[in-house]
Amino acid sequence: MAARTWHRLSRDRTARVAALVLGGAALAALLAPWIAPFDPTFQPDPVGLRLAAPSWQHPFGTDAFSRDVLSRLLFGGQVSLGVAAGAMLLSATLGTAFGALAAVLGGWVDGVVSALVDLLLAMPRLLVVIALVATFGALSPWWLVLLLGGSGWLATARIVRGELRDQLSREYILAARALGASRWRITWRHLLPAVAPQIAVAAALALAAVIPLEAALSYVGLGVQAPLPSWGNILLEGADYLTTAWWLVVFPVAAITGTVGAALILADRLRVAVAGHEDDR
Amino acid sequence: MTSLPARRTLLVLTCLVGACRDRDAGSAGGTLVVSAGADAETLFPPLAIGNQGRAITELIYDKLADIGPGLNTIGDAGFVPRLAKSWTWSADSLQITFHLDPAARWHDGRAVSARDVQYAFRVWTDSSVGAAQRSWFSGVDSVAAADSLTARVYFKQRSPEQFYSFVYLLIPLPAHRLAAIADTALHDAPEIRAPVGSGPFTFVSWTPRARLELVANAAYYRGRPRLDGIVFSVAAQGATVAAKLLSGEADFLEQLAPPDFAQLAANPDVRALPYGGFDYGFLQFNTRDPRNAAAAHPLFADVALRRALTLAVDRATLVRSAFDTLARPAIGPFSRTQWTADTTLTGIGFDRAHAAALLDSLGWRAASPGAVRSRGGRALRFALLVPASSRTRQAAAVLLQEQLKQVDVAVTIENADFNAFIDRASHGTFDALMGGVRTTASPRGVRDIWGSPGPGRGASNWGRWSNTAFDAHVDSGLAATTPDAVRAQFRAAYQAAIDDAPAIWLYEPRMFAGVHRRVILTPLRPDAWWSGVAEWSIDPALRLPRDRRAAATP
Amino acid sequence: MGRLVLARMLQAAAVVAAVVTAVFLLLQFAPGDPFAASLEGADIPPSVRAEWRGHYGFELPPAQRFAHWVGALAHGQLGYAASQHRTVAEVLHDALPRTLLLVGVALVLGFALGVLAGLLQARHHRRWPDRLLGALTFGGVAVPEFLLGLIAMTWLAARWRLFPVAGLASEGDVAAWPLWERALDHLWHLVLPAGVLAVAVAARVARHQRAALLGVLKEDYIRTARAKGAGEWHVLWHHAMPNAIAPVIALLGLAMPSLVGGAVLIERIFGWPGMGLTLFDALLARDFPLILGATLVATVVVIVTRALADIAAAAFDPRGLRVT
Repeated sequence: MAARTWHRLSRDRTARVAALVLGGAALAALLAPWIAPFDPTFQPDPVGLRLAAPSWQHPFGTDAFSRDVLSRLLFGGQVSLGVAAGAMLLSATLGTAFGALAAVLGGWVDGVVSALVDLLLAMPRLLVVIALVATFGALSPWWLVLLLGGSGWLATARIVRGELRDQLSREYILAARALGASRWRITWRHLLPAVAPQIAVAAALALAAVIPLEAALSYVGLGVQAPLPSWGNILLEGADYLTTAWWLVVFPVAAITGTVGAALILADRLRVAVAGHEDDR
Repeated sequence: MTSLPARRTLLVLTCLVGACRDRDAGSAGGTLVVSAGADAETLFPPLAIGNQGRAITELIYDKLADIGPGLNTIGDAGFVPRLAKSWTWSADSLQITFHLDPAARWHDGRAVSARDVQYAFRVWTDSSVGAAQRSWFSGVDSVAAADSLTARVYFKQRSPEQFYSFVYLLIPLPAHRLAAIADTALHDAPEIRAPVGSGPFTFVSWTPRARLELVANAAYYRGRPRLDGIVFSVAAQGATVAAKLLSGEADFLEQLAPPDFAQLAANPDVRALPYGGFDYGFLQFNTRDPRNAAAAHPLFADVALRRALTLAVDRATLVRSAFDTLARPAIGPFSRTQWTADTTLTGIGFDRAHAAALLDSLGWRAASPGAVRSRGGRALRFALLVPASSRTRQAAAVLLQEQLKQVDVAVTIENADFNAFIDRASHGTFDALMGGVRTTASPRGVRDIWGSPGPGRGASNWGRWSNTAFDAHVDSGLAATTPDAVRAQFRAAYQAAIDDAPAIWLYEPRMFAGVHRRVILTPLRPDAWWSGVAEWSIDPALRLPRDRRAAATP
Repeated sequence: MGRLVLARMLQAAAVVAAVVTAVFLLLQFAPGDPFAASLEGADIPPSVRAEWRGHYGFELPPAQRFAHWVGALAHGQLGYAASQHRTVAEVLHDALPRTLLLVGVALVLGFALGVLAGLLQARHHRRWPDRLLGALTFGGVAVPEFLLGLIAMTWLAARWRLFPVAGLASEGDVAAWPLWERALDHLWHLVLPAGVLAVAVAARVARHQRAALLGVLKEDYIRTARAKGAGEWHVLWHHAMPNAIAPVIALLGLAMPSLVGGAVLIERIFGWPGMGLTLFDALLARDFPLILGATLVATVVVIVTRALADIAAAAFDPRGLRVT
């Protein structure tokens, strides 16, 4: 069943383009040390080359410290996409684990998980992260992964729990259990692979949610530490020069919108592939 | 939605044919809208210590006398009468008798009396009220009311700044309204939120964190202010504060930030007006070990290293990049606006090659070109603590980091929100920090910030730098009675601080007010831009509907 | 039914208690107190700060402070906000209505725009309106609100002067205006902040609305309706919409927390002193009673809104399914 979904997805041209955009962005970030024209912290001339418009030398212009914006965007991708990918993996793992626990064990475990979900749903995520950052000072990228991933698993948990409970009550499962297979074994070997596409949908949506969150966080001035670039802190710097240096805003916004858009498209196409409507491409 | 611009036009028309006609008293009148980046924390003068709180309370309340435009702090030279029409010194200088202006009235119509001065002094010095700056009055023994218009101040000992330190902060308070309230309850008493003052403007309304409105006091004893009213319009975001001025929604902005200037150039309505500045910024070294205050700092206890690092910093470039022309390189622990400032002192200068050679000679060598220097297994690497709230200090830190990297010194920037910054700074748990000080007209502040930690000095000396020559010169300077003697002593003290490099003196921001062309204003005093506001007005040709406002009558 | 409501309420109370306790515990690790901000540069002796700390109870052990706070809460008192020199209740009394208005308008506006966009996209599926609006929704999801806010303020307000830059009302003798003019003026100042917040809501609603409509449009009964010769708009509005709207309404309840989060930045930019700005300032000032009070109120608001959205979704769902 899942195999059919993956197959359908692989033949979906839109999905392929979106995957290509995401993959390309990730590759560019990974290869930044080799393809970036400059060291992202290098200040060639902080007075003369300050806020220089795009040119052959600096295709994306320079920032207020004369640093090359293109190089900063490439290296910034390492942090921004790295944090997003880490948070996505963490939330998918946590979501799957909590969802499976709730579905398989049921009873009070189910109750506790749903109470946790309720608790996290009531907390404004951005606000919580801002509060933590404001109180404890700047967080390292690892902490960001932990925070953003740890607060983003709700959707995955709900999907996994719903699907598993549905499946566990089916007759063939009951039959398998009668034959002595444990619930855990069935879940791990057969049910989870079957819901993998749905988990992937939730993961793609989580990715799309986390990238802008990192950018919003930089607003407090306590996102990723200087001089390390991230898309968010490049953008924040640009916000000071909205009317005078458009290149400090346009390029990071393009990077953020491009990757978020690609993740959203991928999620949509996945959902279509899961539903199996061949006609809706 | 379309009806709203139409409504605005309608208002302009009504103004043209109606209410604006009665505005014919020369150029006087109009309402000044001030775009403010912060709100007053309280309207109770002893507790209003921020710049915004001071501005508002000093418009509502008058002092006994105000500092003159020369900002002299020695004796009473230059001081101008306010609530006190005149004052006399006793022969031994241990008493000053203030003769109150018989015309002075509280906004509720009661005469200002010597009892109000006496009451204010008690409130200011009562520790249960919690006035932060009560140490200013430590030289005062008591205040007596000889009669209703004569207040006599008795001093414990003579000091050159005794007049300044009594009148500069002390604001007489309406005893007839407040004396019945317990001192401990004053800070949140309802009477404080609707203050009755003695100054040129009367309180109208306050929406905390949004807006505060004052209106001209028609019965002001020194003559009704020319402005009809003042509105402080508050926004927390720097960009918003500037946008209000640029859009014409506000008329005045106390201090423009560097990014605002590019927009200003394209705006014919708004100009930047320089008026000095009392700030200076620096990189402060911690001379004690952050983990053990009893031990010396492994790096920065060494004056030779501090000097070598200073020599490696190109301040001219740093200032140009971070501030453009809006700041000047700092010279030492003072601001050029202070009258004790001396621009002829010899600084350490900038010479990168010499700095590298010095570091080499101190044993700090790089294993390979581009590697971080080290000595005996310890790398020349330190953390620089920066408050996240200050964009300029952040920018300066990033520039410093790169400049020190050029001489193979590794700096890690640690951003901390302001509270965490202060917490770590005051506990000494940092290697180095980006500091900033707002000085006052008097040079005495250096004793707290740079004096050796100990009784009577160094309370805010976070780097715990200690230099006895500096301390001695500051003490002599504060005891000297002629301006020339004061200058000479402070010159020596400043030179000692520059030579011993407890900090890298970086920049002195110049303050630029943003002023809309509607405003007709008087020169701005660097310590208090608001000091002459009663003489300002709005150009009658450029009045707007928002200028209509009736003056208050008691 | 009554027992269900009671259980739900108990659960909500537990969530509120957990959030407030968690916030209090976290605050114990935060360095500083409300009196630091005034320290730097000003010549305030550390002894005065120590005095203030004692006066406002900052020297008490954390457990005792929390007990005091809970005890006062039981008597309906939220404590004293030292950073604003007034009671927490007074601060929240000012701030909460402003935020409810801001978030409420943003929610309604965002919902309307989002539903409209979703309808258009479904109507013109895979043609240019769908693609254009699709791209716009990506932007709405991706571009951080603070940037949108700054852009709107810089151009729409400061440069072109179409809207006020910031604040709650116009300057001048506003107090003398008739009530309806003052109300209009207030709303006029709300256009930009609420509009920016609404963009993010609209983008998310549009995506869900489009997907839900496209899903419903494949159902047999729609084909029947079309076969009977109903116009495409008629089919969308009268047949597809009723079945597609419920999940979107439920989404609104879920959008509340992120709206409150977004309000922090937007209120700051547009000088709208509501709950977000209050909480942000309180956090930076380490004003513990104010932080706790604001968190308490904000959590209650979020939970109540979600419950209302759930009820509305259930009411709108023709299949009578419970939506969570």
